[in-house]
Amino acid sequence: MGKVAAKLKVMPESPEIDLDALQDRLGDALPEGARINGFERDDIAFGLVALLPTVIVPDDAGGTEAVEESIVEVEGVESVDVENVGRI
Amino acid sequence: MADKPHQNLAVIGHVDHGKSTLVGRLLYETGSVPEHVIEQHRDEAESQGKGGFEFAYVMDNLAEERERGVTIDIAHQEFDTDSYYFTIVDTPGHRDFVKNMITGASQADNAVLVVAADDGVQPQTQEHVFLARTLGIDELIVAVNKMDLVDYDEDRYREAVEEVEQLLNQVRFQTDDASFIPTSAFEGDNVAEGSDNTPWYDGPTVLESLNDLPEPQPPTDAPLRLPIQDVYTISGIGTVPVGRIETGTMSPGDDVSFQPSDAGGEVRTIEMHHEEVDNAGPGDNVGFNVRGVGKDDIRRGDVCGPADDPPKVAETFQAQIVVMQHPSVITAGYTPVFHAHTAQVACTIESIDQKIDPASGEVDEEDPDFIQSGDAAVVTVRPQKPLSIEPSSEIPELGSFAVRDMGQTIAAGKVLDVTQS
Repeated sequence: MGKVAAKLKVMPESPEIDLDALQDRLGDALPEGARINGFERDDIAFGLVALLPTVIVPDDAGGTEAVEESIVEVEGVESVDVENVGRI
Repeated sequence: MADKPHQNLAVIGHVDHGKSTLVGRLLYETGSVPEHVIEQHRDEAESQGKGGFEFAYVMDNLAEERERGVTIDIAHQEFDTDSYYFTIVDTPGHRDFVKNMITGASQADNAVLVVAADDGVQPQTQEHVFLARTLGIDELIVAVNKMDLVDYDEDRYREAVEEVEQLLNQVRFQTDDASFIPTSAFEGDNVAEGSDNTPWYDGPTVLESLNDLPEPQPPTDAPLRLPIQDVYTISGIGTVPVGRIETGTMSPGDDVSFQPSDAGGEVRTIEMHHEEVDNAGPGDNVGFNVRGVGKDDIRRGDVCGPADDPPKVAETFQAQIVVMQHPSVITAGYTPVFHAHTAQVACTIESIDQKIDPASGEVDEEDPDFIQSGDAAVVTVRPQKPLSIEPSSEIPELGSFAVRDMGQTIAAGKVLDVTQS
């Protein structure tokens, strides 16, 4: 089935959250089989910066739900959305 | 060189009908495959004593290369014609990604449907065509592929076209908006150049059809619809909702309404990329501040729109759905979770109004007792909590949803009609 890349948009709880530390925590939180392949950042508004990790998951893993669920539990995360998915 | 407009193109169809080969052929014919990849493949093919050019192989090779890279760009397969830059949206095979395709940011504008001439319409063809419709694809280019395997037989081509036309009727896709082309992506017939193998066909090639597509128009003329992702309290500013504008535009001074929370006020400031802007439109990620709206007044899942044309709140709504996977049967009373824009709300399927026969496209049964995997149906839905959603005929961007239960995406659908509370 191949692999799927999903670009996520992770919003921090506030503009004060240390994004470098948050990136590390996200990497540690992923379920087995998924891995982060680089981060981008997007300036949103009023000091809020979104983290945009690209996560690689196997196509047969049944979607991005498990990844979303584990990320939303990470300390400092307000919300997670999937911006885009595509086969790689 | 003048800047050409951009199109997102989905390539859809049943597994093994030649999607990768067609994408590979398009990239190759437009000079978009890196030379070193072609060279490398030629060397390997020669050493193995194989002739021909396996485009699917090239695609695999490119995928490996991308995975080794530092960052992976999902929008990776790109080519251009005289009129457009195309980015190919390569849809994952697994059904659970359908939710992402419905709630995600970048959707395809148009699609190429690949149907193998020797195999005809298959279950996945059906599912993809329905999804294309649900996801708001405007124009469909149908490549009746693998014509080399049926000796370029016109009768077989006509049969396949007829099968696809029936399928399009079923999902109410205007067949006028579809064009049909007999192709062999493997041999190159009618992809970039017309073929001597199909003297009975005088229509455009795939590349010509792509070049002739209408330009996608951003939905700026529609009323503002901005689904709220998060709500913040920022010191010195106050309450800041954040989200991506789906349709319409927003400017400071606009009087807006948040539904279903039913709060509203005047927009004071809008920021995008940390800069204050006078106007924001479709696709823009914004944070903004509204006079008189506190953090507890609004929440994720609300939709922001003009006060004089507020987002609809559904007491019930009627929708057309396709059941993609369900272990048993769906009956009236079933209450899964509906995912629409940023909202996730449990909704009861109050009645199953019509079942549609996949073969004929006609209504198969009025008020059926149940529906199951593979069925298309019209259902009436009652949200268990207030939900803002729009008829897809009016605002398609806010008119589609995915249905999830038991950790799976079990159905996808589009809203036909909303009964407001």
